[in-house]
Amino acid sequence: MKNRKRSVDFLWLGLLAFLALLPLIPGLLRSSFTQHVAIQILLYASMAQAWNILGGYCGQVSFGHSVFFGIGAYGAGMAVVKYGMIPWPGAFIGAVLAAAVAVVISYPCFKLKGHYFAIATFAIVEIFNRLFMVWYWVGGALGLDYSFTDQGWTHFVWYESKRGYYFGVLLLFLLVFGVVRWIERNRLGFYLRAVREGQETAESLGVNSAKVKLMAMALSAFLAALCGAFFAQYNYRVDPPMVMSLDMSMKFVLITILGGLGTFYGPLLGAALLIPLQEYSRAFLGGIGGGVDLIIFGLLIIIVVVYQPRGIMGIIDGIRVKAKRSKEGGE
Amino acid sequence: MKQRFFGKGLLLVLVSLLMVAALVGTSVADEKVIKIGTLFPLTGPVALAGQRCRAAVETAAEVINNAHPELQVPLAAQEGLLDGYKIVLIHADHQGKPDVAKSEAERLFDQEKVWAIVGSYNSAATKPASFVAELKKQIFMCGCSSSGALTERNFKYFFRMAPTDKTESIEFVHYIEWINETKNAGVKTVGLIYENTEFGKHAAEEGRMAAEAKGFKVVADVAFNPGATNLNSEVQTLKAANPDAVFGACLGGDYTLWVRTMKQMDWLPKVALNYCTGYQDPIIAGQLGEDANYFMGGTGYAPEFAELMPAVAAVEEIYKAKTDPSVPFDSDSIQEAVALFVLAQAIEKAGSLDPTTVAETLHANEWESPLSMGGKVAFAPGGQNIKAMSMLTQLQGGEYKRVFPVDLADTEPVIPMVPWSKR
Repeated sequence: MKNRKRSVDFLWLGLLAFLALLPLIPGLLRSSFTQHVAIQILLYASMAQAWNILGGYCGQVSFGHSVFFGIGAYGAGMAVVKYGMIPWPGAFIGAVLAAAVAVVISYPCFKLKGHYFAIATFAIVEIFNRLFMVWYWVGGALGLDYSFTDQGWTHFVWYESKRGYYFGVLLLFLLVFGVVRWIERNRLGFYLRAVREGQETAESLGVNSAKVKLMAMALSAFLAALCGAFFAQYNYRVDPPMVMSLDMSMKFVLITILGGLGTFYGPLLGAALLIPLQEYSRAFLGGIGGGVDLIIFGLLIIIVVVYQPRGIMGIIDGIRVKAKRSKEGGE
Repeated sequence: MKQRFFGKGLLLVLVSLLMVAALVGTSVADEKVIKIGTLFPLTGPVALAGQRCRAAVETAAEVINNAHPELQVPLAAQEGLLDGYKIVLIHADHQGKPDVAKSEAERLFDQEKVWAIVGSYNSAATKPASFVAELKKQIFMCGCSSSGALTERNFKYFFRMAPTDKTESIEFVHYIEWINETKNAGVKTVGLIYENTEFGKHAAEEGRMAAEAKGFKVVADVAFNPGATNLNSEVQTLKAANPDAVFGACLGGDYTLWVRTMKQMDWLPKVALNYCTGYQDPIIAGQLGEDANYFMGGTGYAPEFAELMPAVAAVEEIYKAKTDPSVPFDSDSIQEAVALFVLAQAIEKAGSLDPTTVAETLHANEWESPLSMGGKVAFAPGGQNIKAMSMLTQLQGGEYKRVFPVDLADTEPVIPMVPWSKR
């Protein structure tokens, strides 16, 4: 127990050191494309970590998170485009709405178990996508396009440099990872893992599994929606296929699985591998056409998942165990 | 052992590919070149159309860079621009996604240092990509994206060659009025069927406004998700409303599915008029065979227009060699070639590579464009080509016959469409 505590502290300090170094990257790397890749890594790591609360720690695999992501994106988009406001209140309202929608949707869905729950969340994405496509108050299929406005933190828009976006997404990253770090060490974290390992057993020990799952869903949706608001601000546009699609939902799931489901560092490792691969392969090979970049992207995912189904964290654990064994053998 | 060998081999292939790509990207850095980015959907649901658009821009670049005295297009006789500058194209793929289009436009300008971009086919992708260009005060030449909203933004660096959905909608309604007057067609009601995207929605809105402005009643408004595998309920809705004319905005495979579903349900309106591709794609028309006949649509170019646009045929031979399978220009791809030809003329006339000077030159002049119907290109504030024309054609015997406007027509339209049972 003593050893475990020491190693957790070490990991946390390591993360803090890593975060302290991150703000230096824009200064070190002048290229706006590299900054774009760094922003994408932090954004997708945050999205995956938000999903990890429900899918990883609580064991409820949801393919519907693009709905909550989209509601957050529309919150910011509606505030800016429809009402000419700054995006902050829209982002917050969007996040609260996403959490409320998540609770309303998941209350009946949580009665389903395993694959059936996952299938139900698939359907929810399609329902919301179609709904937003024909809901003209939110722009329908035409979506919401930002017009030129003042740059800076007030409007959370920058045109000439990505520096502001970088620090913005870094704050989001700290918030999402900080919340998960807090959950991990809090009673809620133990409840979530208990439900994941065996709902009946957890209930027999006094855990209110329905309440725990709803809390995880609401928190996960709230944080995913904040990521969506950032996405809209970053792209100056939001429309249903951009945000409320199975494609986007799969990114939440894929990054976490690749990095390591239910682990603190998994989403960051998954994003750090997948996003640069996606962006650089498209940049170098996308112009050739024929989807060479997508083929390489797909191959890598297959290799990692076949080689180690527990993702990158599984590979790291394997190396650690091997090193420990050889050390013990040497002694 | 085998596993380790496989892993090393894969790594070697990946590193080699990246190195080759990097070398290709840097080999032209020191030459006297004007880098132009192309940004099209090279993968995704409309990849074929995007690849054809890219081939069209490559065709224009080849004509501009090399002496082709045999071609009757501006700048063909000389080699390059501004006393020795050559155009180098840097291709990018936006996959049909607006967020990717935005980031790829940024990469093309910031990393690849392109001087201008030609693109981007999908209106929803053109919007954010051209927004980036406007921010950076760099020129964005848009060939065929048809959403009217693109040129309603008062951008100074955005130029679009093709007619908008609004222009085509007005033309559709003029045609219906004409057949009512001269052919006693009895068209009173209109139905709309469109893909639920930026393009489809905008086209349908323009179609509705144009029809209602002239007193036609819109009795059906049917949207579908692009890439649908079944359009039975959509066609059933149309059949139940039974409009006399249908305005369709269906791309690629969706158009094929729509036509086949109508055949399956044994229903046709008196007139079916289509925006943009699908109808205009000669490959799709070929696949549909006899079923494609008697449908109509706005057409910027078809090989059957040879006598109206005599300069196209020779340029088209170069284009055909760049497409696989080899195809002639279509209404969309030809506009992308026009975009680069017009930009090249403006650079030459401006005598400068200052984007603001070239943009002002583009606005201030009328440009020769033998690859455009009408032969001229000129831009209104906002960047719309005010000389853009499209003609209404009807597929008869597998050929695009010119039917409207009357002064350019070569064939009488078949009205109403021949029922499925009598074909």
